[in-house]
Amino acid sequence: MTEHTIKQFDADLEAIRTGVLTMGGLVEAQLARAIGVLENDAAEGLVDRVGADERQINQMQIQIDQQCAQIIARRQPAAGDLRMVLTIVKITNDLERIGDEVKKVAYKASASPDDKLVRVRFYDVVRAAGLAQRMLRMALDAFARLDVAAAAEIVDSDDELDAAFGGILRQLISYMMEDPRTISASLEIVFIARSIERIGDHAKNIAEAVVQAVRGTDVRHATAAEIRAEVAGP
Amino acid sequence: MTPGSGSAFTAPLAAAAATLAAWALAGTGAALAVLAVLAGAIVAFHLWNQHLVRRWAFGSLDAPVPEGRGSWRGVFTAIHRRMRLRAQHQRDLRLTIERFRRAAEAIPDGVIVLDAHDLIDWANPRACEQLGLDLARDRHAPIVNLVRQPEFLAYVAAGNFAESVSVTTIGERRRTLSLQLVPFGTREKLLLSHDVTQVEAAARMRRDFIANVSHELKTPLTVIAGFVETMQDLDLDARQRARYLGLMAEQARNMQRLVADLLTLSSLESEHSPGGDERFAVLPLLVQASADARALSGGRHAVEVDPGAAATVDGNRDEIASVLSNLLSNAVRYTPEGGRISLSWRVEPSGIGVFAIADTGIGIAAEHLPRLTERFYRVDRSRSRATGGTGLGLAIVKHVLLRHQAELGIVSEPGRGSVFSVRLPARRVRAAPLGDGPPAEDATTSTSSHSGTGS
Repeated sequence: MTEHTIKQFDADLEAIRTGVLTMGGLVEAQLARAIGVLENDAAEGLVDRVGADERQINQMQIQIDQQCAQIIARRQPAAGDLRMVLTIVKITNDLERIGDEVKKVAYKASASPDDKLVRVRFYDVVRAAGLAQRMLRMALDAFARLDVAAAAEIVDSDDELDAAFGGILRQLISYMMEDPRTISASLEIVFIARSIERIGDHAKNIAEAVVQAVRGTDVRHATAAEIRAEVAGP
Repeated sequence: MTPGSGSAFTAPLAAAAATLAAWALAGTGAALAVLAVLAGAIVAFHLWNQHLVRRWAFGSLDAPVPEGRGSWRGVFTAIHRRMRLRAQHQRDLRLTIERFRRAAEAIPDGVIVLDAHDLIDWANPRACEQLGLDLARDRHAPIVNLVRQPEFLAYVAAGNFAESVSVTTIGERRRTLSLQLVPFGTREKLLLSHDVTQVEAAARMRRDFIANVSHELKTPLTVIAGFVETMQDLDLDARQRARYLGLMAEQARNMQRLVADLLTLSSLESEHSPGGDERFAVLPLLVQASADARALSGGRHAVEVDPGAAATVDGNRDEIASVLSNLLSNAVRYTPEGGRISLSWRVEPSGIGVFAIADTGIGIAAEHLPRLTERFYRVDRSRSRATGGTGLGLAIVKHVLLRHQAELGIVSEPGRGSVFSVRLPARRVRAAPLGDGPPAEDATTSTSSHSGTGS
């Protein structure tokens, strides 16, 4: 490639990266709104906004996919550049899935009966959602900075989130055994917590994709310690 | 012009004079020889100095200006002076820049300098903290990649920078930031960020407060209006009338209590905090507060008092009394029949005075504790109103304690009971008993002498 095409390619790729982060910003905002629904924020039309966000996120994914296909077809990138394009496709895929899960959280939370027991139990769910929110932010920051060191930290956070999910589950099981009338409400909370746990998983995927894009090693099924060893290398 | 330029001609003149002298004294041959030697010496001298200049000009920037001789001395001195002046200017400039950078760092708001392509060029520590940036790593990164809030991106895209945009940050602490881009220079921009979390919270609290007050007043009014209508429309017998009037009176009392609490709050907010000009003894206060609590309980609870060490407190007696009465009435209202309520006073070794109100009541779940002192915040709405609470008691407590620089501590466990403790700062607590001996004299004089200047 001539110098001109290299520069053009870099500019195109950078534009796509910014597009991915714009999409990520929308997903972050959508998640913040869903947490508002969980916290019983009385703001008008919050749930509808979450739904509208989800549709916009889907559109963004399609657009970024097309841009990626175009850049591959026209510039035929190789090695690290190709890896970056493929990573972007993967990350937008995870972001779109997060958008789906966030929508589920908001819809389920708004549909659940407004009784006191449910609200009390939302307390733990909101905390777990805060954890997922932090992971997503860290993952997107890692992608913006191509910071592989942050990836291991995100994997650690995912373990924490999984533990929180387990705790919510155990608590709900004991409620359900005590009083079968709480089963239907408890199941709703299980679904919400499950969605939040999935959001954490997708954030972890994004972090792993960043490592792969920068290092070229696949760390998808590695432990936090293994990832740490990988990113500590040259 | 300068001495140097004049002296450049001295050596050739001297050489010419020497040549003439040699010619006059020793003839042409000797004169030519002298001329050749002197001309050679002059050329060598100038070549050497030229070499010095070259070596200096092409050498390292810090190299000192070489020392010159003869006609070159002046030239070198002039260069040296210019260099020194330039260095001085540079130092001044650097100091000025450094001062501006320090000033920008010290600004309590966030400041980010963006280049023509909206890449981060510089940011002050406050901006880094507010927006989660790390200047070492994020320098030359696009700002929109790191500040991703859709509201901000839309603001950047719209390009109307006359206004600011508010965004909510995600992190340990949720914050509302007001961001504004200010173009400067040719194509650079400043991004200013200002934390408006407190402002927003205050505005929201005001809105909520008005809504809550209206709601709280509307409920009893609706009841009273309903009964009035009933009594106007229906011909009731004396017994029914008495019953309805009783219910109306109760609602009116609820409204009176609410209005009284609102007035207390507003006067607490508008007045200055009490200085050290008032002083009261703790024991009588404990006795009175516990008697009131017993009366409110009506024998349904065991009310105990542990008076601790005799002491006096500098502060407003009525306000502290209202704190104790609010906390005790909460304890009575949220403790089931047969429960135990205790009021105690102690002075810690550090001098801090502590009132503690403990009950064996229903307790408060952890998630409610941070919001408990908010106005009209209720853990359980129906229960609070049924027991005659206005929802303002703890807000009043908080205000009074703020005015006395005291702290409210709450330890509670659902189903086990709660302990509310009021910690008065050591400088407001005196171990000396009030009522006999010189301390009493002291107290009376200080009260009377300062009463005129008091709040």
